[in-house]
Amino acid sequence: MKQKEPNWLMVLKVSMPLCLSYIPIGLACGVLLHAAGFNFLMTLLVSIVVFSGGAQFLIASLLTINAPILSIVVTLFFLELRYALLGSSLSKYMKNQPQRFIWLFSVSLNDENYAINYLKFNTDKDWTPRQALMVEHYSLITWSVSNFIGSLIGSALTINLDIVDFALTALFLYMIVMQVRNRLTFLIGLLSAVLSIIFIAWTKSTIGIIISTLLASFVGFMVESYIRRHHQHVHHTWLFGKIRGPAITRKTVEDKDAEEADEADS
Amino acid sequence: METVWTNFPVLASTVVNKMDSTDHLILIALAAVTAFLPRYIPMLFFSTREIPDWFNEWMKYVPVSLFTALVVKSVFLSSTYHIELLGHVNYIIAGVIVILITYVTRSMAFSVLAGLVAVFVITTFF
Repeated sequence: MKQKEPNWLMVLKVSMPLCLSYIPIGLACGVLLHAAGFNFLMTLLVSIVVFSGGAQFLIASLLTINAPILSIVVTLFFLELRYALLGSSLSKYMKNQPQRFIWLFSVSLNDENYAINYLKFNTDKDWTPRQALMVEHYSLITWSVSNFIGSLIGSALTINLDIVDFALTALFLYMIVMQVRNRLTFLIGLLSAVLSIIFIAWTKSTIGIIISTLLASFVGFMVESYIRRHHQHVHHTWLFGKIRGPAITRKTVEDKDAEEADEADS
Repeated sequence: METVWTNFPVLASTVVNKMDSTDHLILIALAAVTAFLPRYIPMLFFSTREIPDWFNEWMKYVPVSLFTALVVKSVFLSSTYHIELLGHVNYIIAGVIVILITYVTRSMAFSVLAGLVAVFVITTFF
């Protein structure tokens, strides 16, 4: 029944929450880059080729303290290293895609559109790499246009960064809640929270995010494989006990699979 | 080429940085490379060969760990990466609201919007 809706519109609806939260952040980013001395063409260019809120805010703030180009680039490199994680974890859905597609897809991959696409791949059997690429392009367009407008408005606009910045935090919080389906993922999330506080403060850089992510997810993997080796019915163990939302909202692929599994068991 | 770039007006009234547009272009080119390589290489590597099952099992826990780390960074750490557990009380309260709304509605748009409204109200009026 749903197929009546054209594909581009369906994907646009999926991307809409992200696009909307990109508008204020993109504007803010454009304003800051402008204040750091970028003209509007440079701002547009950087927002397309770098396409990362965190990296662009970093460029702006390092430019205002007159950091040399090389040290900006090195800092950026450590900040963007975490994209390696995104690429690795999405790669299983990118099997059999032509080289050109892999290239196109990775160019405009970032934290937020990854979050949307990972959730869709995870919960929607029919979600295709083409649609995932479309999400990336919708978010890229919104992001770069917002940056561009922000740099044109420039200092005429005062933006409370503290408020704007929370849009992405809210988006990630939403993603976390949607990811947590059993007690183990919940505990891994908690573990990652503790580890990331420690490692970010210790390394004094975002490399701490990568270390804590790799460690916490590795612990999750080890615990899961231990349980799988020692229990025949993993879904009956406490750690794999389901954490589910209210009944009306259980409509994802996994929810349905779980319900069928429950029925088969009883 | 250089004059084309530098002729575009820089609208800032107070330009604090000494770099010109050529420097900016070099910076952007280098930034683009550092942005592209970490995105491309793992995806190219893992999508062109058989991935062992254990790797996929491991990657399954990456999203929840990564998103938590990103949230923790903006809520519990200062911009200079010092621990400030109560540095953003507005974020903590708004964050709890986002979690509750997500749990009940499962709607991304609604959750993000409610979070923004909450953090705006808390930051502005308290």
